[in-house]
Amino acid sequence: METIELKINGRKRTLHCLPNATLVEVLRDQLHLTGTHVGCDTTQCGACTIHVDGCAVKACTVLAVRSDGSDVMTIEGLAENEASHPMQEAFKACHGLQCGFCTPGMIMSAVDLVNKGCALEPSAIREALSGNICRCTGYQNIVAAVMQGASEMQEQSS
Amino acid sequence: MSGSLIGKRVLRKEDHRFVSGKGRYTDDIQLVGVTYAAFVRSPYARADIKSFDVSEALAAPGVIAVLTGEEVVKDGLGGLPCGWMIHSKDGSEMRQPHHPVLAADRVNYLGEPVALVIAETQLEAKNAAEMVMVDFEPLTAVVNPATASQAETLYEAVPNNVCYEWELGDEAATDAGLAAAAHITTLQLTNNRLIPNAIEPRAALAEYNSGTDEIILHTTSQNPHLVRLIMTAFVQIAPEHKLRVIAPDVGGGFGSKIFIYSEETALAWAAKKLGLTIKWTAERSESFLTDAHGRDHVSEAQLALSAEGEFLALKVKTIANMGAYLSTFASAVPTYLYGTLLAGQYRTPAIYVEVDSVFTNTAPVDAYRGAGRPEATYLVERIVEKAAAEMGLDPAELRRRNFIGRDQFPYQTPVALEYDTGDYEASLSKALEMADYDTFATRQAEAASRGKLRGIGLSCYIEACGLAPSQVAGALGAGVGLWESGEVRVNPTGSVTVLTGSHSHGQGHETTFAQLVADRLGLPIEDVEVVHGDTGKLDFGLGTYGSRSLAVGGSALSVAADKVVEKGRKIAAHLLRTDVDNIDFDAPVFKMLDSNESKTFQEIAFAAYVNHDYPSDELEPGLAEKAFYDPLNFTYPAGTHICEVEIDPDTGVVEVVQFVAVDDFGTIINPMIVEGQVHGGLAQGIGQALLEQAVYDDTGQLITGSYMDYCMPRADNFPDFKVGMTCTPCTHNPVGAKGCGEAGAIGSPPAVMNAITHALGGIEVDMPATSEKVWRAVQTMRTLKTA
Amino acid sequence: MELEQQLVIPRAVDAVWLALNDPNMLQGSLPGCQRFEQVGDNAFDMTVSAKIGPVRATFNGSIALQNLNPPFSYEIAGEGKGGVAGFAKGGAKVSLNAITEAGLPATLLTYSVTATVGGKIAQLGGRLIQGAARKMAQDFFTQFVRRLCDDETLDLVIETIKEP
Repeated sequence: METIELKINGRKRTLHCLPNATLVEVLRDQLHLTGTHVGCDTTQCGACTIHVDGCAVKACTVLAVRSDGSDVMTIEGLAENEASHPMQEAFKACHGLQCGFCTPGMIMSAVDLVNKGCALEPSAIREALSGNICRCTGYQNIVAAVMQGASEMQEQSS
Repeated sequence: MSGSLIGKRVLRKEDHRFVSGKGRYTDDIQLVGVTYAAFVRSPYARADIKSFDVSEALAAPGVIAVLTGEEVVKDGLGGLPCGWMIHSKDGSEMRQPHHPVLAADRVNYLGEPVALVIAETQLEAKNAAEMVMVDFEPLTAVVNPATASQAETLYEAVPNNVCYEWELGDEAATDAGLAAAAHITTLQLTNNRLIPNAIEPRAALAEYNSGTDEIILHTTSQNPHLVRLIMTAFVQIAPEHKLRVIAPDVGGGFGSKIFIYSEETALAWAAKKLGLTIKWTAERSESFLTDAHGRDHVSEAQLALSAEGEFLALKVKTIANMGAYLSTFASAVPTYLYGTLLAGQYRTPAIYVEVDSVFTNTAPVDAYRGAGRPEATYLVERIVEKAAAEMGLDPAELRRRNFIGRDQFPYQTPVALEYDTGDYEASLSKALEMADYDTFATRQAEAASRGKLRGIGLSCYIEACGLAPSQVAGALGAGVGLWESGEVRVNPTGSVTVLTGSHSHGQGHETTFAQLVADRLGLPIEDVEVVHGDTGKLDFGLGTYGSRSLAVGGSALSVAADKVVEKGRKIAAHLLRTDVDNIDFDAPVFKMLDSNESKTFQEIAFAAYVNHDYPSDELEPGLAEKAFYDPLNFTYPAGTHICEVEIDPDTGVVEVVQFVAVDDFGTIINPMIVEGQVHGGLAQGIGQALLEQAVYDDTGQLITGSYMDYCMPRADNFPDFKVGMTCTPCTHNPVGAKGCGEAGAIGSPPAVMNAITHALGGIEVDMPATSEKVWRAVQTMRTLKTA
Repeated sequence: MELEQQLVIPRAVDAVWLALNDPNMLQGSLPGCQRFEQVGDNAFDMTVSAKIGPVRATFNGSIALQNLNPPFSYEIAGEGKGGVAGFAKGGAKVSLNAITEAGLPATLLTYSVTATVGGKIAQLGGRLIQGAARKMAQDFFTQFVRRLCDDETLDLVIETIKEP
C-alpha cells in the first residue's frame, strides 16, 4: 500500500492505495465519489474526466500515486457553496443530457475547454469535445449547452 | 388548468442529480461486505470444453469461490429462453439451441462465459480468473451468415444452422406484379452489424438475505419485471416472490439492456448459492463481446413499377444472423418487426418477403434501436430512390405518386398491419421546404467549384411502435402480452406518486409522465414524482423498448389518472352530501354543478385517507388507482428525412453538411425531450451509415472489439440537425402519442446512403460508407466517366 | 498475416542447419523465452512472454519441427495459450541456400511466417499482430545469427520479400 495526499474538492485527504490503483478507482471505491464514471477500458470515452491541478484528465489512465500532492476536482466539487455551476445549469436548460452517464465527464471537459480559451463556436466546441462519447444526445444540445454555459461563466468572472 | 403542461418544454426533473454527479447507477451502489465477480470467457468462437481446472484460482489470494458451467448443470438451471415463437413457412416451430447460463461442454461464440470467480476485491477476482484453466479444443467456426446454411451444422437440433424460414405476403400476387412491370429495380444490400454501446456498461449487484431467503438484484435493465420473470420461471434460480429486481439509474440501453444475459443471471444464482453480496461490472471489452449486437442482414429485393412509376409489387429475400443463441426477443426482430414494415408509406399492392434466420458463431443478435424497422426502411427507401434514378423521376415525385393518401386511413397493407392515421405528404412537403430541396443544384454546383461531390438523399420512413396489442402479438408468437401498467397514488397531502412499468434510461419519463399526470390532475409538476424500475414497488410492468413508453405506459397512467378523478368525484360527492353526477372535476377542483360549493384536489386527497365516515359498502378509503393498458393497435410514427453530403474525391471522406428530419409522432407532451430523442436517433443512424460496424474475422475473432477499432460517432461527426414536426394524433390511445425514440435511427441511414449514391452518380457502397470504400467508388466513377 | 523475409549468414549451410536443430540455439534466440524443454523428437514445450499492443501475456505452448529436408529446409509449427489473454498460433517455413559471400561459403536464409491470434489479444491488439510478429521474427534471427557467429554486435541486413 502506498500513502498519498490529495486535495479533493477543496478538502485535504490522506489515502492508502495499491501502487497500481487508478485515480478513478480511488475516487469511486474509497471516497465514494461515484459521479465520475467509467465507460471504457481504453481511455476513449471520457466519462471519467475530472480536473487535476486545473486541467481536464481522464481519471482511468492516471495512477493514483502519480497524483500525490495534486489538487483534484470532480463533478461533485464543481458547484461552489451548493449552488450549481453555470455549466451544470446550462446542461439542464439546453437538454444537454439524457441518460446522464457521460454527463459528469462531459461537463468537466466543457468547463476545461472554456478555461483554456477554446473558441466558442460550434465547430471548435465539437472538436474540443471529441474525446467524450455520448451515445444518447447526438451532441447538438451538448454543444448548445456549452455555448450557453461558457457565456455565463464569462459573465460571472467579468 | 388541464392542458397547461401538455406540449410544453418543461425542463427535466431528473437532471439535477445527473449534472451534479448524484445519479445512482448500478456500479455506484456501495454495500457493506460486497464481494466481486469476474467471468472466465472463451477465447475461441467455437470449441469443446475438455475440462476445467480451478485449483490454482481457488488457492489465489482473496478468492472465495469459483463456479463453472459444470455447477450450472449440477444445479439444474434452465437455459435463457427466447420469448417469441416464430413458425417457418412449412408450419414447423423455430429451432432454438439450449442457451446455458455458463457453458459446460461447448462454447459457441467468442467471449461466451464459462466460469465466474468470486473474490474479496475486483482485482483479486480478475487475477484469479486468469488462473482458471479451461482446456478448450478449438473447432471450426461458422461466421458468415450468407453461407451459414451450407456450412457445418453447429447444433444437432438445428439442421443447416437454420432457425426458421419465414415468409409473409402473397407470393403469387407479387410474382404477377413483377411479370406485369414496365420496370423492375433490383437491389442487393447488407445491413451492417452494430454494437449498441450504451456508455454505461452492463452491471449487476446481487444481495442475498439468508434470513428472509430473498435475493435483491440491482441491474442495468430496461425491464426489471421481465428479468425477474425469466430468472424465476425459466432459469429457476428462486421463486418469483423471493427475487426483487431493481433497475436504478441506467446509463442508456438502446435495446441492449432489454435482454436477460448470462452474467446477471449467474450473479443472482451465485449470491444465493454462496450467501454473498456480489458485484460485477462489465469492462467495455466484455460489452463488445457479449452485449447483444444489432442488425446484420443480407438482402436482395425487386421492386416492380408501372410505366407511370406506380409500385406494383415488392419481393424481398433476407438472411438474418441470429448469432450463436436466440437472445430474448431475437426471433421477432427480422420477422414481425421487419417484414410487416415493407409497405413503407406506399400503396404497393403486393409484397412478399422470405426471411431465413441462421445461427453463426458470433455474439447473439437482438433488438437495437429500431429493431427490424431500420432494416425494412433501409431496404424500401434505398430501392425506391434507386428506382427513381433509373426511371429518371424526381425521388420526391415518385414517392408522392405512391403515398397512401391522408384520406385513405385506416389503411390495410398487404403485410399484416393496419395503419390508423398519417399524413405523409405533409411531412415530405415540410422536409423539402426545410431542406431547400428546389435549390439543391445551386449548392451542388458551388460544391463542385470547390472540388467536392455533393449529393442529396431522401428517406420517407414508417415504423410500428407502441408494442403491442397483446392479442395481435400473441397471435404472432409473442410469449407475453405487451400491455403496460401504471399507478397514480395520491398521497394524503395531495402530492402524487406515479408508478410505471416503463423504465427510463435517458428518455426522461420522470418529466414526461409527471407532465401527463400533473396536467390531468391540475397539479404543479413539482408535486408529482415518478417511480419506476423496482419489482418491489410495482406489481408488474413490461418495460421500455419499441418506442412504447408514452403510447402504452403513458396511456396506462392516463387511464389511472382518470380513475383517480372518478374516485375523487365520489369522495367529493360524499363530502358535499350530493350525488356523484352532480360533481364535475375542473382540475384541480371538484365542483358541485348546481351550487358554488367545491373541494380542492388536496382536500379530497386528505379526506380520502383521514375520514372515518365513509359508507363502507359504497366507498373505500384511499386514493390510489392502477390501470393496465393494452393497446388496440400499433402506433405508426412516420416522416421524411433528407440528407445532404459532400464527398472529398481525393480522400473519400464524407461530410454530412445538412440533415433535415420531419417527424409525425402524434401528440407531443414535451417537445424538448422529443427533439432530444430525434437527435440521438439520428446520431446512431448516421453512425451506422458512416462509421460503425462489428467485424469478425473468418475464425470468429472480433476485430472491432474496442473503441480503438469500432468507430463511435463523436461530436465532430455531425452538423446541427434541422428538426421539424407534423402531427396526426394516434387514433386509438388516450394520449394520442405514437412514440419517438427510434425514428431517428430508422429514417436516417437510407437518407445518408441515398445522398452518397447520388453524389457518386449512382455507384453504390454498403454501410458503413468509410472513406476507403467511398474513395474506391470515386475511382470507379472516374473510370466509368472516361470509358 | 504472412511475412516473408531473407538474410545472408556468413556461415556455410551445414553449420546453419546444425544450429537450427540445436535446442540451445533456439532457446537462446527466442525473445522472452522462460522455459524450453525437449519432449520428443523435434518437439519442444516452452513458456514465452510477449506483449502485443496493450496486452502482455505469458504463453504456454509447444513447437514442432516438421517436414525436415536436411540441410535445406524445415517448418516450425507452434501454438501457445495465454489464458485470459487468448491464444496464438503460427508457423515458419525456413529454407537455406548455399551462396558465396566475399569469396567465402555463406547461406541465404529465407523465412516466411504466418500467425493468427484469438481472444483478448485479437480484440485489443489485433491491428498490431503484424508488427509484433515481424519484430519477434527479426529479433529471433538477429540473435540466432549473432550466437552462431559468436559476434554480439553483428549488424544484420534483413530484406523483406513479401509483407501484406
